[in-house]
Amino acid sequence: MSLTQIARNCARMAVRANGIRAITAQPQMRLLHRLVAPAMCNGVTQSILKPKSVAAQVRCYSSKLTMEDIKDRVLKVVGSYDKVTSEQLRVESHFINDLGLDSLDHVEVIMAMEDEFGFEIPDSDAEKLLRPADIIKYVADKEDVYE
Amino acid sequence: MSGREAVKRAVQQVRPILSVDRDEARRRALNLYKAWYRQIPYIVNDYDIPMSVEQCREKLREEFVKHRNVTDVRVIDMLVIKGQMELKETIEIWKQKGHIMRYWKESQDPKPTDFLSKFIQGVN
Repeated sequence: MSLTQIARNCARMAVRANGIRAITAQPQMRLLHRLVAPAMCNGVTQSILKPKSVAAQVRCYSSKLTMEDIKDRVLKVVGSYDKVTSEQLRVESHFINDLGLDSLDHVEVIMAMEDEFGFEIPDSDAEKLLRPADIIKYVADKEDVYE
Repeated sequence: MSGREAVKRAVQQVRPILSVDRDEARRRALNLYKAWYRQIPYIVNDYDIPMSVEQCREKLREEFVKHRNVTDVRVIDMLVIKGQMELKETIEIWKQKGHIMRYWKESQDPKPTDFLSKFIQGVN
């Protein structure tokens, strides 16, 4: 075995070891997040954490949604769509019949919902979400929020 | 004999291009709209066109609304296919800035409507 080969083998071993470490390290990190986050939701400040990471984690865990939150956010998104006037907007108003949107507007509203809640809504589901109430229910199902 | 054949031809089902019914065609069209809508910010950025994202979205809607009265499923499919091709060409930058700006038809004069300007242009 030449010197170069030995060197190459050593390098390979090192890479493998690194890979293993990376894999084992990941779950621990994840667990750490889990442990830390609820404490922060309660407003307990921990001296270990830098303020920068606090912001990031609170943002991740702000998804402790309630039905009220979802309702507010959905109505806000629909209300901010420029073709909807906020007086006629209710939870039960139909996008196409009551609010006078067309199918392209409906697609845009659904896309705004995707952006707001951060997950994709497949087309087959999207065409059934014709009222804000439907969207609230759908998002609650996706996020495991129950009353 | 030929009359019966003609009836038979008229009644028989036409072969679909992609969609078998209007719902499917509609879904494809909306899907295309969604893809374009999501792509527009990147298009504006990549091609450096002097239009805002809102103006482009307006134009996109206009292009879709232009064909709002099409009812034939095969025609809808064909339009969707063309739209997809165009989207692909745009994303891959197989087009140039001018091709994008052509949607606004800035270099085309609007057709004359009143009598005198029609007369001067020689169009009747």
